[in-house]
Amino acid sequence: MWNYSDKVKDHFLHPRNARVIEDANGVGDVGSIICGDALRLMLKINPQTEVIEDAAFQTYGCGSAIASSSALTEMIKGKTIKEAQKITNQDIVDYLGGLPPEKMHCSVMGREALDAAVANYHGKTYEQSHDDGELICHCFGVGINKIKKAIWENHLTTVEEVTNYTKAGGGCGSCRMRIEEIIDEVWEDLEKCGVPRPGTVQTPIEAKVVTSTAASAEKIRASLDQNTESSPIYKDVVKILKEANDGLKEDGSGVELDAIEGTDVIVKLSGPAAKGMIKTMTLDFLAKKLTDGTGRKINCVAR
Amino acid sequence: MDVYNLGAGEGIYLDNNATTMIDPKVVDAMMPYLRTYYGNASSQHGFGLPVDKAIAKAREQVAEFLGAEHPDEIIFTSCATESDNTALWSSLWSQKGKDEIVTTDVEHPAILQTCAFLENHGVKVTYLKVNSKGDLNVDDFKAALTPKTALASVMWANNETGDIYPVPELAEIAAERGVMFHTDAVQAVSKIPICLKDTKINMLSFSGHKIHAPKGIGVLYVRRGTRFVPFMKGGHQERGRRAGTENVPYIVGLGVACELAGQHLSEVNTRIRKLRDRLQEGILKSIPECFVTGDPQNRTANTLNVAFKFVEGEAILLMLNEHGIAASSGSACSSESLEPSHVMRAMGVPFSAAHGTIRFSLSRFTTDEDVDTTLKVLPGIIARLRELSPYWKQNKPKIANLDHDFDENSTEVRA
Repeated sequence: MWNYSDKVKDHFLHPRNARVIEDANGVGDVGSIICGDALRLMLKINPQTEVIEDAAFQTYGCGSAIASSSALTEMIKGKTIKEAQKITNQDIVDYLGGLPPEKMHCSVMGREALDAAVANYHGKTYEQSHDDGELICHCFGVGINKIKKAIWENHLTTVEEVTNYTKAGGGCGSCRMRIEEIIDEVWEDLEKCGVPRPGTVQTPIEAKVVTSTAASAEKIRASLDQNTESSPIYKDVVKILKEANDGLKEDGSGVELDAIEGTDVIVKLSGPAAKGMIKTMTLDFLAKKLTDGTGRKINCVAR
Repeated sequence: MDVYNLGAGEGIYLDNNATTMIDPKVVDAMMPYLRTYYGNASSQHGFGLPVDKAIAKAREQVAEFLGAEHPDEIIFTSCATESDNTALWSSLWSQKGKDEIVTTDVEHPAILQTCAFLENHGVKVTYLKVNSKGDLNVDDFKAALTPKTALASVMWANNETGDIYPVPELAEIAAERGVMFHTDAVQAVSKIPICLKDTKINMLSFSGHKIHAPKGIGVLYVRRGTRFVPFMKGGHQERGRRAGTENVPYIVGLGVACELAGQHLSEVNTRIRKLRDRLQEGILKSIPECFVTGDPQNRTANTLNVAFKFVEGEAILLMLNEHGIAASSGSACSSESLEPSHVMRAMGVPFSAAHGTIRFSLSRFTTDEDVDTTLKVLPGIIARLRELSPYWKQNKPKIANLDHDFDENSTEVRA
């Protein structure tokens, strides 16, 4: 028997929002009868505010599929579409107090249904909104993009994990070698973003030559800034750090952005916040703010 | 009752094709060989003798129960899976030049996965198809046998549907063609009368834990005159056919379990059959859109497999468990694999029902009240899950302006 958490059991035995919303304006259907689980997510979105005013589901599937659907509806109700889309499949898992490894695909399916429902709200069909890419697993109809996304977001390192999250490779097994290659491809990119690959030596980063003249030191600063500015999260980070700085000013502290490297945000702290225990607390606080604000797991360090 | 921590005397156990309660009489018979008689049967002293005698007695009990001509045709193994592996390998090793195996699509993985492995190593395996009721075509069997067939292996009864295969008839046909015949009889033993000396069966596997003995003990019957090469090597035990120190307490337990199974055989085919039929009728009467899988006219008396359309098996099992009721499912989610039962797929059960198959398997310890309670709670569980299922559209409001919908007959594959 699967060892489900109490929260999973609760959401399975007492599912929230299990009904049909007749005037839903965003309906996402994912899964299929052949694969053994299917989920319909129904959203009532306010067109003015884009707030999800009501969410409900219908699910055909096992206990954890029903629990994941129930959890998702609770998590997105009252959020704007933009806020809701920051939710990852891992957030659903965390909300449920964990899922058995073999059942992770239930959370992935829930997250997909949200995408499908939002696409439907915007007047797009499933096919238009889903670029599956090259079909990798024929037994379960899984495209390369879904596999890549699951690896990227959950830092998966083995074929078994990919199967747990997407079902890909769980049938005849003939695509497992291809999945192995895809894992490698994605990790090359993850490593470029500064995520260390477990069990491997990190790809060395090209050394920068630092000379002692003030002018060349300026140049290095400028080049760092260029990298930082081109980061996709640059704008969000600047905004969040500015807000934080306004708060820190009160006791004479300050925070300044130094650089962004992948998901590492490097800051300069000044005043009381730059020392000792307060420094650790400030960095933890900033990391949490940045993670919430950018939708990525941010690591915040002081230079 | 803590439904997540159940054991003997608690709950309603309708999963006897998976394993069975150990009969207290079996436990009693085993105890002296755990507490007192710990000797090695091979030893030449007073510690070995009582143990050696106990094994001999158990061998006679098993032989008697199976209707074997000679007790020395009984080899004790660790489980039916070991017996199955032994039969397959032995047939190939002992008959050089023969490298084909004939079996069926609906065998237990102990046969199917071993055959898949052998196929990868150059053995040609022919898998016989079954019809929508799970029955084999005897002519297909005849046609599949060739002069190169080393072994024909057909299960006596199917674990999921209970379907009984005409094993004595198939063994006759194989014998006429000079083909060695093996049967995995795990689900037949203790449910249908077996008299091996009246058949041409060369080898038969079964295990103790399906007949109220403990897990970890099995039997391979090998008819005298059948060519045999041991699978486990490294000792003279079991007349050199299965090396390894004998598992004495379990062998003793199995002997007693066989004797008891013989005594209760008629009860299984009368009282238990009636209970099973009552469970079946009650389900079919009170729950719409469900059907019995397998061959209702030709199956073991304790087994009932029902497919509930548009709901998923694991969810049904979880809800049954809330009431302390234990059954099993052919759904993908309730197993470690991601695909529904190979038996349901072999019979062509549609996916909309294959994922929702539930097997109820009774035993001599099943009571009238067990069936009553199950019939009381099951309709509510199926109705509740159908309320949640997008494939069940009855009595549900419709969404306005919907341009797509779920289709039960869709062939789309999308995880």
